[in-house]
Amino acid sequence: MGLNDVIHDTGASASRLLMRDQDAVARAVTAALYAASPALLERHGERGRDKCLQDMHYTIEHLIPAVDLGDPALFIRYVEWLNGLLRARSVDTRDVVRCLELIREQCTERFPRAEAEAIGAILQAGLTVFAG
Amino acid sequence: MTPQGDNFLDALRRGDRRDAFRAIDAALDAGTELRGIYLDVVQPAMREIGRLWQENELTVAEEHLATAIVQSAMSRTFERVFVWRDLRTPLLVAACADTERHQIGLRMLCDLLEMEGWATTYLGASVPIESLVDFVRKHQPAAVAISATIAPHIPRVRAAIAAIRAADLPQQPVVAVGGRLFLSDPSLAMRLGADLTATDASDAVRALDEKVRRGQRVAP
Repeated sequence: MGLNDVIHDTGASASRLLMRDQDAVARAVTAALYAASPALLERHGERGRDKCLQDMHYTIEHLIPAVDLGDPALFIRYVEWLNGLLRARSVDTRDVVRCLELIREQCTERFPRAEAEAIGAILQAGLTVFAG
Repeated sequence: MTPQGDNFLDALRRGDRRDAFRAIDAALDAGTELRGIYLDVVQPAMREIGRLWQENELTVAEEHLATAIVQSAMSRTFERVFVWRDLRTPLLVAACADTERHQIGLRMLCDLLEMEGWATTYLGASVPIESLVDFVRKHQPAAVAISATIAPHIPRVRAAIAAIRAADLPQQPVVAVGGRLFLSDPSLAMRLGADLTATDASDAVRALDEKVRRGQRVAP
């Protein structure tokens, strides 16, 4: 078994964990985001929070195959798409950066180190879209 | 884009079905073949509609209306130019991954293959994998085409291909995949277990024709 097989296996098991805990991670990230900035609830209300939860699910659904295949470019293309979409609608992309960081924190808390790192590497690649 | 292409796009933006049909008819009257209508009029217009939605210049409702108009314009155009013949072969079965709503490319592929003498069966979106495999077992197609647009469809595409490969069939069909996912990264097709992918419907016709018909000729 070569290094690539090990990496790929970790990706596969990490994606399975992410799939299993998708709802819990999405809820925890949404809760943390709203807890950190009460202004969000004032501005968008309960509907905004439900929408945020949906968006977290959508982001994790894009993250899962990228982790499984060990393919950061796949996730980068999604983040670029999302970034373009939000910019056209004048939405602050700092919230997206915060969401990706919160997903990483959740994975670190929940999953074994190797799997959390495999997911973290893909998230980090996505975050480079917002750098600079 | 051609003048008819501009008129077609303009009609889609306004949600005017009649003007969209008129633009297609003008292209047909100018001698454009079905392939040209699909690839040089419809496809660039749909890509632009997608971009306009992305840029927040069209609402979701307007984008859905444009898609619906394109679908009816395509089936109307196909009926106008297609001559039904018997004894059509080989067979291609087409399906979208998951609840895939981006079905236009696959529809184009089926129509253009029909023009080349293939028979096609278009199953559309949301076909359960077991049902797709049963269908393949029953009809023994030479090829199966699966389209996917976004990353969340990847597990289903891979599972569908794996299920076809695992099915006990006298001959394995050629499996083609297409859609935006594979345009961005053609290597993804092979990693998911497919035999081929293509950049557009016309390119897919060429690749399938070569793989399937050449295969048939060398077979005993």
